[in-house]
Amino acid sequence: MFSTYDTFSAPSFWQNGPSPGVIYNFPGSQTGNSHLFQHSQAPVTTATSIVAITFNKGVLIAGDMLGSYGSLARFRNCPRIMKVNDNVILGAGGDYADFQYVKDFIDQKVIDEQCLDDGFIMKPKSLYCWLTRIMYNRRSKFDPFWNNFVVGGLQDGEPFLGTIDKLGTSYEDKTICTGYGAYMATPLLRDAMDKNPNPTEQEARDLVNRCMEVLYYRDARSFPKYQLAVITADGVSIEGPLEVKQNWNLAHMIH
Amino acid sequence: MASVANPSFPDYSTQAPTQHMFSPYADNGGSVVAIAGDDFVIIGADTRLSAGFSIYTREQNKLFRLSDNTVLGCAGCWCDTLTLTRILKARMQMYEQEHNKTMSTTAAAQMLSTMLYYKRFFPYYISNILVGLDNEGKGCVYSYDPIGHCERASYRAGGSAGALLQPLLDNQIGLKNMQNVTNKTVTLDRALAVVKDVFISAAERDIYTGDKIMIIIITKNGIKEDSFDLRKD
Amino acid sequence: MESTTIEKIVEVDKHIGCAVSGLMADSRTMIDRARVECQNHWFVYNESMSVESCAQATIAIQFGDSDDDGAAMSRPFGVAILFAGIDEKGPQLYHMDPSGTFVEFDAKAIGSGSEGAQQSLQEMYHRSMTLSEATTAALTILKQVMEEKLNSSNVEVMTMTPTNFFHMFTKEQVEEALKLVAIQEQSKGDLRSIVSTAEVMSIK
Repeated sequence: MFSTYDTFSAPSFWQNGPSPGVIYNFPGSQTGNSHLFQHSQAPVTTATSIVAITFNKGVLIAGDMLGSYGSLARFRNCPRIMKVNDNVILGAGGDYADFQYVKDFIDQKVIDEQCLDDGFIMKPKSLYCWLTRIMYNRRSKFDPFWNNFVVGGLQDGEPFLGTIDKLGTSYEDKTICTGYGAYMATPLLRDAMDKNPNPTEQEARDLVNRCMEVLYYRDARSFPKYQLAVITADGVSIEGPLEVKQNWNLAHMIH
Repeated sequence: MASVANPSFPDYSTQAPTQHMFSPYADNGGSVVAIAGDDFVIIGADTRLSAGFSIYTREQNKLFRLSDNTVLGCAGCWCDTLTLTRILKARMQMYEQEHNKTMSTTAAAQMLSTMLYYKRFFPYYISNILVGLDNEGKGCVYSYDPIGHCERASYRAGGSAGALLQPLLDNQIGLKNMQNVTNKTVTLDRALAVVKDVFISAAERDIYTGDKIMIIIITKNGIKEDSFDLRKD
Repeated sequence: MESTTIEKIVEVDKHIGCAVSGLMADSRTMIDRARVECQNHWFVYNESMSVESCAQATIAIQFGDSDDDGAAMSRPFGVAILFAGIDEKGPQLYHMDPSGTFVEFDAKAIGSGSEGAQQSLQEMYHRSMTLSEATTAALTILKQVMEEKLNSSNVEVMTMTPTNFFHMFTKEQVEEALKLVAIQEQSKGDLRSIVSTAEVMSIK
């Protein structure tokens, strides 16, 4: 049963609400609502877009290495793509501290799983679902993790790519970009995928590198140094720091 | 009698969202349309998932099969939809195990209402439309508001284009404000055609509806699934 | 003693009745639970609870499954209960013993005279009994196993039928039924019909 009612009485009408046949004070009539506290809610050190795409044999996730402090480019070496295990990679945008907290949590989960020594390892859809629940629970407490997560991996031989935001909104797609990438990189990736729905790894790499370049030109919170994670049946590799190939030849034409 | 003036009864709390700048809700759009006939019911939902001016994905199914003759269509806050439908699925299975039978559409309809009301002070922000065949095999459509008001209808539009489409259905299915009309029962072919037409119209005017529709048709022979492309801009 | 204050047959819901024997205080607890479960089922699912589910839910308190309320009861409940009800499967009769086991029956006797009564039921019961036949049979058996003489103030009769659901006999109806028992004992009458019924009865 979901209800938490006493054995012999009727369940409450709503969550933490009154039950029939019980007498209550009116809510709030008692003095001292000391249990109310303000959650500090705004991201502090933030990371910008994540760009991700599936290709014929796996998934690619890229993100730059800047930790912004408001408009200040404060930290210039913030890795935010992690290998979870041989099956799963995870990229994160948004508050960097929250990401590190969740990362520690996931790392501990992976260790716990290894301790069981039962040969099972977490699959991408499991982590995706678990993260969705974690994010939804925190948003329901009005204390969200201020992140966008992108989960990539291989499940049953098929590439998997999904994302979760700070509310616990989650969806899967063949291309996913968060932050400003959703406005600037997604159209490029969708257009490419329409023309070529099943790109090779090299084609996908070229696409993502192009996206990182475009984002560097136009996203004021971006950085030319980035990481690129690739997951295929052969395993996971996190490459980088890579450098955006900059070409400002056109710049003089823009006013 | 001081104790009477201020008796120490237990207090209860409400979960009203207060004084936070963070909004736990998002409007992820999407529309759902359902039409019931004498021996069938049809439900359609678009597959666009969006927020503001960006489209998250063009292929998000918003129809959830609760049993072999009950389907739920959801539009609104997607994170709430994910949570609600997961709990519903669990409740359907628990019912099956506790009572050794599959939950009927009418029972599922009532359960959904109580589940929504249970979150009265922190609601699931979802427009739900539940369809299925009732105990007599007749098609039925139940529609809900986010806090659990439930009403049975024979046709309903909900979600971002709900207000746009309901009058159209009133006219085409309910035959409202028409003169010299006799045929009151709607056929499956007609219902299917209307659902498609209605979504084409919605996609023209509502930016949160488009890309594709998933259609589910329930008859005594079981569930059939269909899809139909809409404009993708 | 005011005999009407002891009730061994009670209504759980319109479509489910219970007859109990054993520790009456324990039975109250269980019946309370059964009633709450039935109403809750109606509230959540807008349908009447099946008899089996009601019995199942009732035994559940024995084992303290109300998860966060913590520990189970420290001793088993000292009651046997008959659940009689009508659900989508038709008339149903369930017997539950103090161990929490519950089994479906066509006819069942519980309590101090149950051994002899069950024996007699075995002989008298057949599936095509009419309601009045069943009533008479039940009272006849009760008469055999009871030390006291049967009268309208020491016996309760309840019928559970698809048309009237829970119906407790009035004093007059009990007297009427007892009269039939007396008549039948003289001239072993023979009635047949297809009305199916699940009946419980209890001595006061």
